[in-house]
Amino acid sequence: MHEYSLVQAMFDQMANVMAINHARAVRRVRVRIGPRAGVDPDLFRTAYDVYRVRTFCADAPLDIADGAGDDLILEQLELEVR
Amino acid sequence: MCTSCGCGDPHVMPFDVHERILAGNDRAARHNREHFRDHHVIAVNLMGSPGAGKTAVLDATARELGRTGEAAKVGVLTGDLATDNDAVRLRAVGLMAQSITTGTACHLDAEMVHRGLHNLPWRTFDYLFIENVGNLVCPAIYDLGEDVNVVALSVTEGEDKPLKYPMMFHKADLVLLTKIDLLPQLTDVSVDTIEKNIASVMPVPRMLKVSARTGEGIADWVRWLNGRRRPRTAACAASAGAGAVA
Repeated sequence: MHEYSLVQAMFDQMANVMAINHARAVRRVRVRIGPRAGVDPDLFRTAYDVYRVRTFCADAPLDIADGAGDDLILEQLELEVR
Repeated sequence: MCTSCGCGDPHVMPFDVHERILAGNDRAARHNREHFRDHHVIAVNLMGSPGAGKTAVLDATARELGRTGEAAKVGVLTGDLATDNDAVRLRAVGLMAQSITTGTACHLDAEMVHRGLHNLPWRTFDYLFIENVGNLVCPAIYDLGEDVNVVALSVTEGEDKPLKYPMMFHKADLVLLTKIDLLPQLTDVSVDTIEKNIASVMPVPRMLKVSARTGEGIADWVRWLNGRRRPRTAACAASAGAGAVA
């Protein structure tokens, strides 16, 4: 199940974004997944929920929007910057 | 200020990322691809189910290249969750092969391939075969930097595999229908149906029928590979050494 690998890659991306913005935590994650991405959105969510425990995403819900084709995009983060 | 949930928290700000989740892998794949092209190496990502006959095809390919006196140099990276059995088997028939043991990962990624190259004199190769982890789903979404994607599908797997796993076949440049020597025993398997199902999911359908056991079709496969070969210049040959990827 590669969804865990993908979530791990997304956490690396998010860590970079947090460092650039001097953020303390992520409050919401928005991704877009297309029908030919080869990713099951439910499994992706399960992997995210397992992975985020006691991380900077612990309190960040995951929004998954339908994409086109093989879209597998990290769209937007809501960052806590206090 | 948070505007999405209406809480108005001034310490929450939206940040647009708009980046592929596999952007890191894509960068590593581009790096691999540039190296392969610079050194005239054709990289083949060979995918398929466990037991589809990927290693047997490579074994037969090595024998065919030896039989025809082709001067092609061939190396292999083999991906498996555990053991280096495939690499050992391929080294026994004269191929330079290195295993990538993925542990729990169900696919190879570009960085694994990059690290695997450190243990092979890949710059001297005409062909680098990357035998992916046996799996019809996950390998399809990871670019490794390959030139061509080939899917091995055995006649015993069921006629509808291309319909059940369309992504893998959608990505393929060629399908090798393997183990065709078994067809006389499989009276309920129709090659025409398999071909029709492949054609319904592959943008440019291309299938070759092969048997690693009897050698049938292997010459056609080698001809297909030769059609993709990049001629080596003298300067390129001179710079090819047994070094690592930069």
